[in-house]
Amino acid sequence: MVNVDGALVAKSLILVAKKVEQNKDHLCELDGEVGDGDHGVSMTIGMRAVSRAAKDLPADCTPSEALQSAADAYADEVGATIGPLYEAAFAAAAQAANGKKNLNEIADWASIYQAMADAIQQVGKAQLGDKTLLDAFFPAVEHIKGLAKKGGTLEAALLSTAERALKAAKDTRNLVPQKGRASRLGDRAKGYQDAGATSLAVVLKGFADGVSKRKS
Amino acid sequence: MKKLINDPFDVVEEMVEGFLAANDQIIKRVGKRSIARANSPIAGKVGIVVGGGSGHLPAFAGYVGKGMADGAAFGNIFASPPAKPVIEATLAVDSGAGVMYTYGNYQGDCINFDKAQDKCREMGIKVETVVLNDDVLSAPKAQAHKRRGIGGLFLVWHVAGAKAEQLASLDEVVAVTAKANANTRTVGVGLTSCTVPANGAPTFFLPDNEIEIGLGIHGEPGMKRVKVRPIDSIIDELMDAILADLDYKGTDVALLVNGLGGTPAEELYVVYRRVKQICEANKIKIKFKHVGNQVTALEMQGTSVSLLRLDTEMHDLIKNTTVDTCMYKKV
Repeated sequence: MVNVDGALVAKSLILVAKKVEQNKDHLCELDGEVGDGDHGVSMTIGMRAVSRAAKDLPADCTPSEALQSAADAYADEVGATIGPLYEAAFAAAAQAANGKKNLNEIADWASIYQAMADAIQQVGKAQLGDKTLLDAFFPAVEHIKGLAKKGGTLEAALLSTAERALKAAKDTRNLVPQKGRASRLGDRAKGYQDAGATSLAVVLKGFADGVSKRKS
Repeated sequence: MKKLINDPFDVVEEMVEGFLAANDQIIKRVGKRSIARANSPIAGKVGIVVGGGSGHLPAFAGYVGKGMADGAAFGNIFASPPAKPVIEATLAVDSGAGVMYTYGNYQGDCINFDKAQDKCREMGIKVETVVLNDDVLSAPKAQAHKRRGIGGLFLVWHVAGAKAEQLASLDEVVAVTAKANANTRTVGVGLTSCTVPANGAPTFFLPDNEIEIGLGIHGEPGMKRVKVRPIDSIIDELMDAILADLDYKGTDVALLVNGLGGTPAEELYVVYRRVKQICEANKIKIKFKHVGNQVTALEMQGTSVSLLRLDTEMHDLIKNTTVDTCMYKKV
């Protein structure tokens, strides 16, 4: 069984950053259809800062310290709407992981993902169905909570949770946006996949791959 | 993409460095992404802090100086700054008389400036906010609170800055700024897309023979796309939208014909010519006017027209105040 200690969480954050940057152009394209086309850029700038902070962490850091460093990096570098959302999400994750030496149980990640999604909702004030990243995150949270009850390996659980998020992100096509710049378009924004939901799925995939120590 | 840049991710950093060096008589740096007037805090004066995403110069940091803003926070291109630089600017300009934030109505700006406001209030600084929402075509009148802030800020900040120069109280500065915003309307038209440097490709695609009425200053889709046609008839349509939204007939106004960054001044004067004809037909008296690139969207081609309906107070404030900022002067 993999031991998800602070160092592995830090490594996972670096992998998340790499994945986000690989998807930068795709995320900008999605955002350009209905928003201002910079979502991939904002996420890349934020995750680059997260990556730099993660590389500076001591090898014996706790998972909570690693997650808090990501929150601080977002707070200083990003701004936009996405900055405060991810700052709050990583800070909530750090809180949920507080006192734990490792995050080896599916239930650990279920409570972290739940805390992250709740924090995002609190700052962004979006509801399910508003066509935001929560439309990918909440279904993923429900999914991993179910897996925590069912049991299985952590690696498989995180991977299938990321897949659930990606499917939900694709389903945002059918939603009419209620928040952010795209909301002013109303029905004109229907048919486009939400960029924030898509990048959230990328982030969860990064965690899944980071924890299972796979390359891609 | 052809731009005068180095690494696309370094544009804002390097721009801020050059901006500071070029304006070192007027401003000082107070943080990595924050500036303030060189002589701030100014005793007894309400500090006005502005800001938003980069890519709109002269808005927003270009208006720091005498007669407009006291401090500004730079965001990344088209992205609101985080709370941190806003807080830095606040601390630098607060003389004890309080600080007013004023910026365009975008979710990111609202979240980050509100966060800064909360933190600064916890520190005991008086902070109030006036969010600007002049873009008529970005939401229907019944949902005016959803409207974006665009070119009209240039006119509103004349009024705000003038009031603050008179050492008025925070409440008075806030009241007159809110009044100016309530009396300001803007409509715009975009001819081309623009390219966010770190993105590398145009934000959206607009066919050669089409223009977009109501296009946002970050490339947000507007009200509708129409075929290219003579500008007079487009301005007629834009001015109809403004005059239908607020009763300007027979009033005094301050007026801006704004360029979005990529349109030649010659074309802006062609626009102004038509705007003036329409004002005359509606017995609207232009007391103050400006034609030029003020609230831009990188290299986007297009224009916006803003009208501020003046009362005596706002009229006198604009008329009697000298403006000497980094990127804009008025005698």
